[in-house]
Amino acid sequence: MTINREEPIFSTYLHEKGARFGIPISGNFELTAGCNFRCPMCYVREDSASCREKELTTAQWLGLAEEAVRQGMVFALLTGGEPLIRRDFFEILRGMKRLGLLVTINTNGSLIDREAAMRFAEDPPLRVNISLYGTEDSTYLRMCGQPCREKVLDGIRLLKQAGIDVRLNVSLTEENADDFDGILRTARELGVHIKASAYMYPPVRVGKDAASSCRLDPDRAAALTVAYDRFRLSEESFRLRAGRMKEIARRTDGAAAGLSKREKKCRAGRTGFWITWDGRMLPCGLMTAPVAYPLKVGFTAAWEQIKRETARITLPDGCRSCPKRDACFICAAICSAETGGYRRSPEYVCRMTESVMHRMADAAACGVTQRENAEETR
Amino acid sequence: MKIKKELIKREIAGDTILIPIGKTIADSSGLFLLNEQGAFLWDIIPAAETEEELTEALLTEYEVDRETAEKDVREFLDRLREMSIL
Ligand code: SF4
Ligand code: SF4
Repeated sequence: MTINREEPIFSTYLHEKGARFGIPISGNFELTAGCNFRCPMCYVREDSASCREKELTTAQWLGLAEEAVRQGMVFALLTGGEPLIRRDFFEILRGMKRLGLLVTINTNGSLIDREAAMRFAEDPPLRVNISLYGTEDSTYLRMCGQPCREKVLDGIRLLKQAGIDVRLNVSLTEENADDFDGILRTARELGVHIKASAYMYPPVRVGKDAASSCRLDPDRAAALTVAYDRFRLSEESFRLRAGRMKEIARRTDGAAAGLSKREKKCRAGRTGFWITWDGRMLPCGLMTAPVAYPLKVGFTAAWEQIKRETARITLPDGCRSCPKRDACFICAAICSAETGGYRRSPEYVCRMTESVMHRMADAAACGVTQRENAEETR
Repeated sequence: MKIKKELIKREIAGDTILIPIGKTIADSSGLFLLNEQGAFLWDIIPAAETEEELTEALLTEYEVDRETAEKDVREFLDRLREMSIL
């Protein structure tokens, strides 16, 4: 059993079980494409009036959730766009909880005022993930088009006072990378967990390419990834990780690996699904295909189709035989978003992986002893 | 016996879990996993007046000796009390 230590053990357990029986344990409901922010890397936001009309109704969301619960769904992620701009947001939250779902919310945090916090306390979700884009109004202005620093920090405090578990999600781009130290400091001061990513998907779903998303060049993204690892891992774990990377880097200097049969598979389309704001079911919100239409064919038929079609996806040979594979974060969604398919390995990801690996190997060179390496393999 | 928290019992691929609804905040473990006997007891707790009633019910339903049944019931109730469910 693979243990992802960022999640509770029962969740890992249920997903493992779900994978064995093809149960949709977790689902993402993208409640809206609308948002009061304007982030350049956003892969969902579209705010024409016609989009609003295509959004699913309260009854449609709850209906889909009910069908999914009958198939075994346990975890729901309510996301967007900004889910709190929906007037019926709390009605949906309550309805989903009443169905027996453990609900997590993704929000930009700018709309969490006293009243919203009270309503969250009435129907506490499992967790609220708040995207923190910076610690200065100037960063917020650059990244999101709104100087919302105070509002977001207040939102975090209000939720914490209401006893709600909060996690910070941090996306790093050219617009806010300089504020990363500040973000880490703020997380520590607030005493909340943080999940940061310096890798940004090209926002292909909204027809934009990587260039327009202000993403970092791969080397800078790698540097920030390593900085984040240093922050989140204990000294011991960091050194173990660095040692592992050094080992992979050493192997990479030798001959290319054979074609691996072992596919590291993620949960998308195996135990997880995503429903877009306009009612399409995808394995993962970062993919554009395979797609099914649960409002037309019913949840169960849509889920069966997604499972079947996801199972056929394989990564390019270049990735399957890549000696760096164990150091790489490649997945099907990344590959298709970067290259438009599954034939070519994505160059950006190769470069970022290479850079992370060498930076970690350098870190290992100043300090991992043989004994620790031996301990780790035990 | 009165169950204080609002929890829904759900069955997922042979496992019985309790999921908090309403104001109950899911604790760090998020939900409670029940074994077969726990799931059985859970259903009859609201109607039961005493611990003995639960023990009797367990004895009728499962092939266990009295001593084990008493112990199982006590441990289960203790655990529910610990989690402020009872
Ligand atoms: S806050 Fe989230 S949904 Fe809104 S624009 Fe930014 S990335 Fe998109
Ligand atoms: S994306 Fe590049 S580094 Fe990663 S596994 Fe594929 S070929 Fe290797």
